[in-house]
Amino acid sequence: MSLFNSIHISGSALTAQRLRMDVASSNIANAETTRGRQVEGEWEPYRRKMVAFQPKGQDFQSILSKAKDGSPGQGVVATEIQDDREPFKLVYQPEHPDADAQGYVKMPNVDPLKEMVDLMSATRSYEANVTVMNAAKGMYMKALEIGR
Amino acid sequence: MLNSSTIRHLEHALNGRTLNHKIIANNIANADTPNYKAKSIQFKDSLNQSIKATRTDDSHIPFSSESDNTPLYRVKTNNQTSYSHNGNNVDVDKEMSKLAENQLYYQALIQRMNGKMSSIKMVLKGGR
Repeated sequence: MSLFNSIHISGSALTAQRLRMDVASSNIANAETTRGRQVEGEWEPYRRKMVAFQPKGQDFQSILSKAKDGSPGQGVVATEIQDDREPFKLVYQPEHPDADAQGYVKMPNVDPLKEMVDLMSATRSYEANVTVMNAAKGMYMKALEIGR
Repeated sequence: MLNSSTIRHLEHALNGRTLNHKIIANNIANADTPNYKAKSIQFKDSLNQSIKATRTDDSHIPFSSESDNTPLYRVKTNNQTSYSHNGNNVDVDKEMSKLAENQLYYQALIQRMNGKMSSIKMVLKGGR
């Protein structure tokens, strides 16, 4: 049984949390982007992105071995980056180049408050996983001292 | 002295603690995963396994410990509770304290192992 495996588990979580942080910062950076992507020749504002997580090892083999004698699991993996389907905010700004005939501009559905909370949560999770990784490292160093 | 059961027992315990660490690491890694349920380890008493009773006659009924090859620990998933609205039930505070506890157990086992090793060394050196 190897301890390195548990370092990989924490490593997968660090990757996932970093991706979550990246997505949150991208959302904040694009909080005012009115030209996110072009749909049928029209500009659509930036849509808020969200990360979906799943436990690693959801294939048949892993599930079978888990059912047989129970496995500790293999970490976490980000399966996809989803768009938030919430409607865009309408802001009255007639002088804006992307304003419609009534003078309203569609703004991205990004709520900076939500993003900050997500960012904090990702940071804390990241820290927790670093602690676990350091614990594994400490245990491994101890194991190397056996028989000294 | 050299093939006493102490080292084997310590090895078993270290293996169990390593598995426990892996489970805790996986729980914390999945603290934000929807519908993930926390896992925990269950240790089994290995004392009964190590005390071997020997049959003196083949017609005697075999002792249960002789055929007992089940592992000393198994992984259990707690499906009962749900702490957050996304179906996840990982309690990070609990996992962190379990992590600290597990680390101390591991270090204690290593120290015991080292103690055993040094007594073997002592014997090999003739008590010098």
